[in-house]
Amino acid sequence: MNWAETIVQSLKDSEISLIAFVPDISIHQVTQLLEEDDYFHVVAATREEEAIGIASGAYAAGRRAAVFMQSSGFGNCINAIASLCIPYRIPLPMFINLRGEVDEFNLAQVTMGRTTRPILDVLGIPHYTYDSDDRLYRRISGTLTLCYASRQPLALCMTPLLHGGKMA
Amino acid sequence: MHRLSATKMLLENAGDLPIVANLGPTSDELWHIAPERHRNFYGYGSMGLCSSMALGMALSTGEKVVSLDGDGSLLMNMGTLATIGREQPRNLIVIVYDNEMWGQTGAQPTHTAFGTDLEQVGRSCNIPKTATVADEEALAMVFRQALDEDGPWLIVAKIEEREYLPVAPVEPEMTLYNFRKTFE
Repeated sequence: MNWAETIVQSLKDSEISLIAFVPDISIHQVTQLLEEDDYFHVVAATREEEAIGIASGAYAAGRRAAVFMQSSGFGNCINAIASLCIPYRIPLPMFINLRGEVDEFNLAQVTMGRTTRPILDVLGIPHYTYDSDDRLYRRISGTLTLCYASRQPLALCMTPLLHGGKMA
Repeated sequence: MHRLSATKMLLENAGDLPIVANLGPTSDELWHIAPERHRNFYGYGSMGLCSSMALGMALSTGEKVVSLDGDGSLLMNMGTLATIGREQPRNLIVIVYDNEMWGQTGAQPTHTAFGTDLEQVGRSCNIPKTATVADEEALAMVFRQALDEDGPWLIVAKIEEREYLPVAPVEPEMTLYNFRKTFE
């Protein structure tokens, strides 16, 4: 399995079947696989905080859900995480493509990319960074298990060293 | 029309359906009307996400789901009307209590006081069933229709603001726990 297939399999094995996302070219490979797979209901949101709301609503109604976004979009949804997922204790895996890493060419992406993990730290949200496919299934599925055991949101940060980049 | 009385009427008609309420007085009043009802989801923060949450719920259950949103909140996240129009959840009923003001922050007029028509926004977003109502009788009629007919529905209920009830002593963690348990 390549990295994208590994993520899809990990989601299935954790019974996460609703995905809310805002498109990102670097992780298009995985969101496309999710859209093609009948196991998942994939919802394209207009903005990342909306995606957090949709996924949280799904969880409240008994369905596990995850979100996909890039680091700029993480900046758009901090209050949703801080005032919804944290106080209600909603376990929400957030897959975030980290911009501002190797090969970054867009000045406007650097600051939010670099500050995503420090912001997660001050929010008290655990985060894990994936920059190779070394034991990827083990690392991702284990993180998803932890997310539901701890009943709190958690971030899975992906870098171009994992997905190969093609930034735009 | 007043929100407290309208919400009482909606609850009488909604049976056991899940209801998610906007933060502030809408949630407070829902709690005061039916504090033991575990199918109430009380909004507490994340202004703007009430109907997004209801959309996520509607995509996760076969039951009808009712969102009690507000004009100021929906204006903050109008994109979610476009997502509802794209997803076409037949079981979603969004009711927007429109008092044309940000009631809790000093009663400043919102954009609906200056011509923004949320029903038309919904129609433009491909939401097939919409209505704007100004009295409780009309709201009751369209709500019963929404319970019977496929949606998604967007119902704008024009309301006048009254004195607020005390803040509901809601623990968000318990709200989620109790609400989610009803789907097991």
